[in-house]
Amino acid sequence: MKKYLYIIKTQIIKRLTYAFDVYGNILVQTIIMITSAFFWKALYKDGGTAGGVDVDSMLVYIIMSSVLSVLLITNVEKRIEQSVQKGTVATDMMKPVSLFGIYFAEDIGTIIALILQNILPILLIGSLLIKVPKMADLRDLPIFVLSVLLSFFINWFLAALFGMMAFSAVNIDALIQVKKHLIRLVSGSIIPLWFFPDPIANVLKFLPFPYIYQLPLSIYIGRGTRAEIFTGMEIQLAWAVVLFLVFLFAQKQITRKVMVQGG
Amino acid sequence: MIDVVNLCKDYTLKRKEPGLKGAFKGLVNPGIEKIHAVADLSFHIDAGEIVGFIGPNGAGKSTTIKMMSGILTPSSGSVLINGADITKHRKEVVRNIGVVFGQRTQLNWDLRLGESFELLKHIYQIDQKDYDRTIDELDSILGIKEIINQPVRQMSLGQRVKGDLVASMLHSPKVLFLDEPTIGLDVSSKYALRKFIKEINKLRQTTVILTTHDLGDIQELCERLIIINHGVMMEDGNLSEIVDRIAPYKTLVVEFYDEKAPEANFCEMIEHSGNIAKYKFMKKDTTAADIIADLSKRQTIKDVSIEEAGIDDIIKIAYGH
Repeated sequence: MKKYLYIIKTQIIKRLTYAFDVYGNILVQTIIMITSAFFWKALYKDGGTAGGVDVDSMLVYIIMSSVLSVLLITNVEKRIEQSVQKGTVATDMMKPVSLFGIYFAEDIGTIIALILQNILPILLIGSLLIKVPKMADLRDLPIFVLSVLLSFFINWFLAALFGMMAFSAVNIDALIQVKKHLIRLVSGSIIPLWFFPDPIANVLKFLPFPYIYQLPLSIYIGRGTRAEIFTGMEIQLAWAVVLFLVFLFAQKQITRKVMVQGG
Repeated sequence: MIDVVNLCKDYTLKRKEPGLKGAFKGLVNPGIEKIHAVADLSFHIDAGEIVGFIGPNGAGKSTTIKMMSGILTPSSGSVLINGADITKHRKEVVRNIGVVFGQRTQLNWDLRLGESFELLKHIYQIDQKDYDRTIDELDSILGIKEIINQPVRQMSLGQRVKGDLVASMLHSPKVLFLDEPTIGLDVSSKYALRKFIKEINKLRQTTVILTTHDLGDIQELCERLIIINHGVMMEDGNLSEIVDRIAPYKTLVVEFYDEKAPEANFCEMIEHSGNIAKYKFMKKDTTAADIIADLSKRQTIKDVSIEEAGIDDIIKIAYGH
């Protein structure tokens, strides 16, 4: 355990040396926040509610969606792809640590560095330019945190499973992009699923994606009854467990397939 | 210390045909080709040995090293380090081994060298006292402390390889694998590296397995050679025994005062031009001194020299060229 903590620490040091890289994402998130703010303000121009949510809650939703997107940054796919392409997977395999343990610790380290470098600036910009994203009911904070944690795990296991393809496909650049944007679309991170046509929304309800963004964000803005939220969290927990088990199984299989390119 | 038993590694390669047409064809219907990179390799290495693992490019040396160090999983067969199967117990067994690849680094490109060492210290759970002692000891051989605060990306190749050597020895492994460690190094760096290998072998009884194309490395370091080609074992044995067996002859070059060159017992004149004649003889039949004595009875000798088959000749013959 201690060794993984040290990998986290090293990763934080490493991320803090790449200050420039970080400003890019602040800019991207600012653009997304402002664009969606205009979009929702235009749609709600006559006031009232849509899908049980008024314009103010919707603005909070998009700011928190940007914040959450930083917590859900995963590098594991890219990390696997690069180490397979360059053959550096060899140097990870020769150490007495689990391969995916390294990747997980590195992603945690990245996120900790980003809390300072990304989340705080995004919160500040969102508050100044759009609205202070206050939580609807502070008593929901514990279940919100729990739900974010579960969504983090769902998201990470999906990414890790996805990244495993790089062990045999070597180049998955295009697929990484497809996956990233598909998740943004079907997880309710930009447009909540209650605006989707019913048949599609009903299918998506049973997939892991809405539980990555929409569920924790709904809790934050106070949408839905207690019962609805708890049902949602049960499904969320189930997905986290299922994906964890699939991940464990796949990770055992995949290390046998490791190829080392060159030399 | 190391037992390699019937080790095999097959690769399936997608056969790529040349040109645009081939690229399209490969996209739709790639032909699959099976390659035996390593075929049925077995050998045993004792603790404290320095073994040269040699063969031409693409012979399967690196693949074998990677299987022995737990990086690749063999298609069949097994590697036992200290009696434990490395494929089944990778995380435990790799504590006993260190690996250096001349062509890639395990150091962290973005960090200072010392930070990479600190990370390894935690990964291998080395306690501070052992860590300090190892660093001091390795510093006395390689002079690592002067570059310990430098970021790895700013290092020269020689410095980086030094860093990698120290990194691989931090946890005091019993076995050290070196895959072409001297590749691209200048003479003094090569010298430092050879000294390092000899010292750790002597001081710590570390077993060293190294692949190299550098004949100097082999001559300086290896008592035992394993030669492979096309993934198959060609030779395994003591360096001087292999030399004796593959090239059991020497050539005596004699310069006379005139152009007449006499024959001598137990040797064959293979060349004769002007005053100079070359005599090839088997080491088991006679000695150079006897031939000289024999020749000097028949002719006056001005000068002699002996040509021995060098390691490069041996390797050429053993590779089957």
